Amino acid sequence: MFFLVAFVVGPILYTVAMSAFHYETGNYISKPEAITQILSTGVRPDANQTTFDIVIGEDSAKNLEILASDPTNKKYFISSATSKIDLDPSTLKIDSNGDVAAAPGFHALTPSEQSALDATLGSTRFTYSSDYFITIEGGTLGSLKRQTLVYDKASDTFKDVLTNSVYKDNGTGDFANVTNKADILQPGWRAPIWFSNYTKLFTDPQIRKPLIRVFIWTVVFATLTVLTQFALGLLIALVMNRKLFGRRIYRSIIILPYAMPSIMSILIWGGMFDTEFGAINHLFGTHVHWFQSPLYARLAVIIVNLWLGFPYFYLISSGALQAIPAELSEAAAIDGANSRQIFRKITLPLLLQVVSPLLVASFAFNFNNFNIIYLLTGGGPANTLGGDVAGSTDILISYTYKIAFGAGTQNLGLASAISVVIFFIIASISLYGIRRSKVLDSFA
Amino acid sequence: MKRWLKEDLWRHAIALVTCFFVLFPIYLVILSALSPTGSLQVTSFIPKTISFRNFSMLFNSPKIPYLVWMKNSLVIAGVVAIASVVIGAASAFAFSRLRFKGKKQGLQLLLLVQMFPAILSLSAVYVIMSRVYSFAPRIGLGTQPGLLLVYMGGAMGVNIWLLKGFVDSIPMELDEAAKVDGASAVQTYWLIFVPLAAPVLAVVSLLSFIGTFNEFILARLFLVDMHARTIAVGLQGFISGQYASNWGPFAAGSIIASIPLIAIFLSLQRYIISGLTAGSVKG
Repeated sequence: MFFLVAFVVGPILYTVAMSAFHYETGNYISKPEAITQILSTGVRPDANQTTFDIVIGEDSAKNLEILASDPTNKKYFISSATSKIDLDPSTLKIDSNGDVAAAPGFHALTPSEQSALDATLGSTRFTYSSDYFITIEGGTLGSLKRQTLVYDKASDTFKDVLTNSVYKDNGTGDFANVTNKADILQPGWRAPIWFSNYTKLFTDPQIRKPLIRVFIWTVVFATLTVLTQFALGLLIALVMNRKLFGRRIYRSIIILPYAMPSIMSILIWGGMFDTEFGAINHLFGTHVHWFQSPLYARLAVIIVNLWLGFPYFYLISSGALQAIPAELSEAAAIDGANSRQIFRKITLPLLLQVVSPLLVASFAFNFNNFNIIYLLTGGGPANTLGGDVAGSTDILISYTYKIAFGAGTQNLGLASAISVVIFFIIASISLYGIRRSKVLDSFA
Repeated sequence: MKRWLKEDLWRHAIALVTCFFVLFPIYLVILSALSPTGSLQVTSFIPKTISFRNFSMLFNSPKIPYLVWMKNSLVIAGVVAIASVVIGAASAFAFSRLRFKGKKQGLQLLLLVQMFPAILSLSAVYVIMSRVYSFAPRIGLGTQPGLLLVYMGGAMGVNIWLLKGFVDSIPMELDEAAKVDGASAVQTYWLIFVPLAAPVLAVVSLLSFIGTFNEFILARLFLVDMHARTIAVGLQGFISGQYASNWGPFAAGSIIASIPLIAIFLSLQRYIISGLTAGSVKG
């Protein structure tokens, strides 16, 4: 029970929570983290791009220091994170480049000592003047920089000291320029935006259009899959529903797809549909670009899913057929019904009664059948030129996966919102199925 | 007599066509596993040369820890199968026979939770596990124990429902008789329920074994390290880059990985089928 709560209910609640946040590439972190990052990136080199030749070292108390030389202006100083001491050039030994390598009280660090301090070296700001500081650019080079973005805690704003623009928290997880709303500081943070992700699903045409297209295909895909799987499974079950020579062998062969690891079967089919080398084109002597044309790609998905799933329905149907009492069809035959009438009026209704909950369950399963889409077509073919992530064979779940973890902008907030919507769709389908199978009746 | 022949002939025809449909990809896999070129490229449907190069590559190449993957898969699937049955059986028994507060809500919650698209809580699982990793690195993200925990949570709901369906079908009289004889709930569980349910328990554990063996997405997300991967993730790595590049070893690997599953399945198909329908179909 603990695991269930921790790894099923927990993530679900988390997903629901995420769906109310502005949570995408550029808005992954919390606000304090974002402020720290903006501060650390909001620095500019000074106007002249001044650099110093430096030696990295430490003072007698092991505090990190640099010994900086400015050969053009003949200025030398030792600077640490907290202080700067100017040195008198006359007391120093200046080499031919105009640099100094040693000073009293300064211990240079060996390269191996420096690499041990790698993390702190890059982030340390060495004192220069009240506005400017020095950061280490390489082993012997430091450059003069200044903090241009200044954070004011009291008003929760950033100010650019060069342009005097003020950036204010815009309420959706970014600091935006007060005069130009589109000008925002990177990175932003994940901010609660409540139902914006949901309203976007229905109002933003760039999201709504592919979403509707994907939704329609999802329903078509799930329906066709269930129908073809059931039809073929039932056909085989009917065909073999009598003593037939070699029935056991047929049966063992036919359930093979169900027993094989499905991932491997899908990948193998993927190879078979290859245009140049694939066995399908070879077998039929065609040259179809299976995964380049939306229609053929969809056909391929259905065929593969048929292969994967019909043995299950064969097993179910043959079990159900055997459970139907033979007396019923015998009685009908005596009454003069032909075999087609018997099937349509007696066998099929009785069969459907048994398998309909399984059909609904299978529909719900295929509605979310991520593996087959992801591994077979990857959702493609997609019109990537239009910047559209949704491919022709993408079903809701693979589309959402692309939004959340895809190659481009990742938008976890929007993806979570779609998940919640899918959940409601699936839940209502399944509840319908359960009502019909009357499982809920046994609650007592 | 002639009519019999006619009746059976079309049945055989349909069955044979279906078998061809089923066997075609499987035959192709075997073909490319045995082909020396190591591609799925078909020049002829009858092999001219047979080589075991692909198989020996799996076991001898230092770059492909195939046996380690296989072991990982078997261990992970095995642990999930056993654990989910132990927990599932106890919960199913509790839900079916004991009376306690929140039983109905608990069952409904289980059912509802099962409908949430699991892949979409992926990101949440990922975030949670990376948090876990930060204070308990042994069971967090990227570790097999971590993956195990997630699997167990995921498998629980289905198994409890499946098992509950079975427990409900055990006549109440048996329990009552045991109770009259002075058995406690624990004794009823161990002495009446477990022996009766043994075949179903076996099926449930088998199904979770197969399901876990097949699982791909979570495993791929979790197990980055080459030596921690499961067979599905490992084999997918062969061909994820360029098609027709590493089909030979992939095919060989798939065949070996499929053999245990198919063997289990064929030998226990009768039980598996009844297990599949037991939880959902009620007369």
